[in-house]
Amino acid sequence: MNSLTPTQRDRGLQRLRRLTFGATAGALVAVVGVSYAAAASYAGKSASSSTALNTTTNDSGTTTSTGTSQSSTTTSVPAATAAPTTGSSGSGTVTSGGS
Amino acid sequence: MTVAVKSWKALGTSVHVLVTSDDGLGRATTAVREVLEDVDVVYSRFREDSELSRLNARAGRTIGVSPRLATAIDAALRAARLTDGAVDPTIGEAIRLAGYDDDFTQIASADRGPLTLRAWRVPGWQAIRFDRRLRTVFLPPRVELDLGSTGKALAADLAATAALAAAGTGGVLISLGGDIATAGEPPTGGWRILLAEDSRVDPDSDGEVICLPAGGVATSSTTVRRWSRGGVALHHIIDPQTSLPTTGPFRTVTVVAATCLDANIASTAAIVRGRAAIDWLIGCRLPARLVENDGTIHYIGPWPDPTGVAA
Repeated sequence: MNSLTPTQRDRGLQRLRRLTFGATAGALVAVVGVSYAAAASYAGKSASSSTALNTTTNDSGTTTSTGTSQSSTTTSVPAATAAPTTGSSGSGTVTSGGS
Repeated sequence: MTVAVKSWKALGTSVHVLVTSDDGLGRATTAVREVLEDVDVVYSRFREDSELSRLNARAGRTIGVSPRLATAIDAALRAARLTDGAVDPTIGEAIRLAGYDDDFTQIASADRGPLTLRAWRVPGWQAIRFDRRLRTVFLPPRVELDLGSTGKALAADLAATAALAAAGTGGVLISLGGDIATAGEPPTGGWRILLAEDSRVDPDSDGEVICLPAGGVATSSTTVRRWSRGGVALHHIIDPQTSLPTTGPFRTVTVVAATCLDANIASTAAIVRGRAAIDWLIGCRLPARLVENDGTIHYIGPWPDPTGVAA
């Protein structure tokens, strides 16, 4: 059996260190790459909470209000881009009703 | 700012075209007429020669459809997804069996005798195989599509876009039987909209008025488009869970959304969902007004104070 000289052993150890470093760096790059691809594919959405006014008025004009909190979801009907305002201004009246 | 108006009847309902530039009214009107004529030919349920009728007659086969019908089916399937099936286009057979099987003027003119109705769940929108890219549709045997719920609102959005392009400047509002779409710059203060049970109510009547800066408004109601069979009153909003006209607590729901289509999806779903609609609408952050059968009104989201409204 051949015995290694100190020089040969040092070269072998250096090669082993290079391989270990290369494998570690490659694995790190792969983890980052896969993570980025997964995040891009399933971006998700943060659930923000809001409080909406729920007012009830009966035919006699009595009004009550309660607050309710809900979280948004990515599969809901999109919110209005602009809220309606009182009808004291504006022009061009039309009727929205059943048909 | 003056607003010019043109009104007529189409698709079995009233059409109003409003523009903020007087000289654009003629061009906008022509553009809207073209859109509505195309919609009628493509997805009317009451025309035997419409593309939708031909598609329904060929259930069980994969059929290529026109871009317009593909857009309408895509919108209907989106509505079903967003509402967990509360608004489902596969109610075609159910609404026909409930007696709404002809032009509404024919249905409403006389009681044609009693109907035997049974409760069953509609086939469901998941049964439809639709390829948006290839524009092909497969309906399982006996499945009939009805695009009425989303079709009219989609037509209002399409008409508004076409009208603004034709007018060239300013802003436009299109009302199709009370489903309202806007495009472009609104008049100062916004578009005034009277809220009523029936879209045929004179817009200058007393009542709650809101101003809309952009987007769409839709109202769904069980108090109109009603007919009678054997003395039993029926209406056109079908619950996909039972295939029967809805029997929930709300008779009329108005929703404001980014588009008329989205507003209609939410207002129709709210009628079908009943009490659960309140939390659902809050979760969607949609301004809404719900009228219970006894007249109690619920306001959801950023709705203007009704007591501060000058009628």
